[in-house]
Amino acid sequence: MVGLRRLVAGSAGTLLVGMFAGFVIASAVGVFIQDSGMFGASGESPIARAYMLGLLQRDPNSIVGIRPNQSIAQRAAELQGADTSRTSTSIQPLSLTYIGGASVGTYSVHIYAIGLRNSQGVDQFFPLALTVSGGKVIRSE
Amino acid sequence: MNETRAVATLSVFVVGILAGIVVHTFVDKGPVESPYPQLPKVEEPRAAHDVIAAIGADDARTLSRLVDSTMLTDLDMALQPITDVRGTRFVGAVESEGRLLSAYVVTGKTTEGIDFVVGFVLRVTNDQVVGVN
Repeated sequence: MVGLRRLVAGSAGTLLVGMFAGFVIASAVGVFIQDSGMFGASGESPIARAYMLGLLQRDPNSIVGIRPNQSIAQRAAELQGADTSRTSTSIQPLSLTYIGGASVGTYSVHIYAIGLRNSQGVDQFFPLALTVSGGKVIRSE
Repeated sequence: MNETRAVATLSVFVVGILAGIVVHTFVDKGPVESPYPQLPKVEEPRAAHDVIAAIGADDARTLSRLVDSTMLTDLDMALQPITDVRGTRFVGAVESEGRLLSAYVVTGKTTEGIDFVVGFVLRVTNDQVVGVN
């Protein structure tokens, strides 16, 4: 009985270690493929995409966890601005195109082209480069 | 007996690895779907290529002939904090109503010798570089 229990415990432990190794390997391979653009992967970071969608949808709450910490006054001002622009519908996003990016060490850069129509009906077309590190957008310009 | 146990342990480990990969595929959803249309990619504009070639070659004289002083200031800001450019790469270009955005990543070292990467975009209109973002 003790031998059987030990066998089951040992097997479960081996299985768990294997699952952890498999998860880590799959994650590392996924990141490599995503960054290198192999197999048709765009190289686009899910964090960068989420940040861009949060910006275009004027929803600061959706990106609060993936950008550098801000003071309470900055966050309040941002929410005010988002509420105003949402109610006035002054800006209409027309397109969001991921142009490309690259990584060095823990830093990765992702560049987007954004098409917008402003309140005067004028179409604007401009880029935005995001630097991502440690799961956060640390620079946006 | 020992051989059988080793094979069994290894088999359980391999099954574990496969299970881990399966779990990862369910957990990792990738980028969320964008509701906005994407523009098609276009070839790198010649004018932008010349500018990035001068940057990559560390050729300040050529660069000074290709862009005006305002753009040089913008370029300097876009390259911060890199002071020593080691490599440049064209990552893509898109076009909307005659306005082209040609994107590049530059790798290099900061003044502290730290490896860094920055991205910037050259705006091109009528075969001329008209801005740096």
